[in-house]
Amino acid sequence: MKINGVEIDNTFAEAFPMKATRLIITAMSYKWAYRAANSLTGFASSIIGCGCEAGIEYEINERHTPDGRPGISVLIFATSTRQLAEQVLKRVGQSVMTTATAACYSGLHTADRIPLGKSLRFFGDGYQISKLVDGTRYWRVPVMHGEFMCEESTGVTDAIGGGNFLVFAKSSRHGLAACEKAVKAMKKVRGAVTPFPGGVVGSGSKVGSKYKFMNTSTNHLYCPTLKGRVPDSALSEKVGSVLEIVIDGLDKDAITEAMRTGIEVTCSFGPRRGIYRISAGHYGGKLGPHHFHLHKILK
Amino acid sequence: MKPLTLTLKEPPSQRVELSALIPDRLSGMRRSAIAAIRLQCGNRKVKVGDLFSLSGGDASQLQLRGDLGKFDGIGAAMAAGVITVRGRVGHQLGAAMRGGRIMVHGDAGDWLGANMHGGRIEVRGCAGNQVGGGLPGDAHGMDGGTILIAGNAGMRVGDRMRRGIVVVKGDTGDYCGARMLAGTIVVFGNAGDFAGAGMRRGTVILIRKPERLPASFNYCGILKMQFLRILFHHLTREYPNLPELRGRGPLCDRYCGDLATGGKGELMILRASYPY
Repeated sequence: MKINGVEIDNTFAEAFPMKATRLIITAMSYKWAYRAANSLTGFASSIIGCGCEAGIEYEINERHTPDGRPGISVLIFATSTRQLAEQVLKRVGQSVMTTATAACYSGLHTADRIPLGKSLRFFGDGYQISKLVDGTRYWRVPVMHGEFMCEESTGVTDAIGGGNFLVFAKSSRHGLAACEKAVKAMKKVRGAVTPFPGGVVGSGSKVGSKYKFMNTSTNHLYCPTLKGRVPDSALSEKVGSVLEIVIDGLDKDAITEAMRTGIEVTCSFGPRRGIYRISAGHYGGKLGPHHFHLHKILK
Repeated sequence: MKPLTLTLKEPPSQRVELSALIPDRLSGMRRSAIAAIRLQCGNRKVKVGDLFSLSGGDASQLQLRGDLGKFDGIGAAMAAGVITVRGRVGHQLGAAMRGGRIMVHGDAGDWLGANMHGGRIEVRGCAGNQVGGGLPGDAHGMDGGTILIAGNAGMRVGDRMRRGIVVVKGDTGDYCGARMLAGTIVVFGNAGDFAGAGMRRGTVILIRKPERLPASFNYCGILKMQFLRILFHHLTREYPNLPELRGRGPLCDRYCGDLATGGKGELMILRASYPY
């Protein structure tokens, strides 16, 4: 299969079940809402070392936020509800509550819930106030900028992490030009985020290592500098850089839509602008139950 | 099916307890069976059919018509359905109500929504004393639901209320929000003296500063209370006839109190609109 001269491998992305929540962060302005959201989703690229994966989903107009201020929707993913609860508390407490004028609300209304203000209220040292409005409990924690508003809890849902595709490019510059545009287009897909910096992975990993103390290591088959060093390199001579876009989503449809959008935009660059091939990462299909076949997605 | 409508034939000589006529109890009953329900009228019993003429059949949309100023306990303990009253009503309208909605196109007596747990009451006229309060013997007043009064309300609005929202578009008497345990009261008119006296927690929101506040309230300054945004957003969504809220909040003069009882309550005097 080829799109605009770019070869699409007949392979699939292998993804895993995760637990996720959506938070709505509001603040005095988009600038400050982004500061809180960027801080919360910082160091949340890979579950391997960060405890969770997180990303900014979309901007919310003030007419549609709980408190009528500019808002940002954020998705957070973890391997279990317990791990998710732990990460949400740490990140909201350290990143949102500490951002001047910021407030935090649940963006997911499911029966399965994890604490938000229910635990963070204790920062109020006894001066916190709860308010029940329209069946939702909010906590008002007195802080130095005024009051930190936080919803009592947030919903948790089953989600999928690890949707991905690989971009084989002439150089990093060529690859990033296409990937940046792809990530921008993928942001329009609701329910999916690209948790890595700028949405692009520059150092994809494989499971295992020659070192016993390492669980993962560099994906040597896709390293351009190892083309002449490893006999089974997956790269042709003209490929000088491989970039990966990882997608976490609330459901299969969101990941499928994000992958299709991203691949189509990437392919629009074509070989003349340094994009040669699209592939996807998997582990033989034995580890993750969700398989996203590239040819099926792009059919 | 048309709503079940009870039209008063003539006002009774003594007060009538009408708490037996709630939609969740009447649904499924024949009109003849409803007409045979016996109500307490002073020291005797009277049948519903003797007091009212009945029409329609949908008891989930109960309509009461006439001057019901001597009828107490309308909608008391109801959990579902809608009661619409066209006329004056007596005391304890919606007392201990759990759900559903009551709309009164007229005035209401004392203890409106006393010890209410949920649901909504809307009074297009004025209300008496002790709106949302606790009846003698109750541990506290209303602990859920919303009461909206388009006119004035009497003394001690929200006395000992524990949760829920009371909105008074007109004036209130003295001791509005007195002894509150929690919850929210909004007054668009003039609140009487000593608003919030003895309140332990809860919020009293006023448009105008009362002439006399309890001495045990301290001024916290002019502050932006983001909670007001959420509250007003909810109220304007649920009650489109609240134009008074447009352009209000979150800027307010905040007083904390009653310091004699812990000081976790608050009085907010709203200021004009302020962006974010």
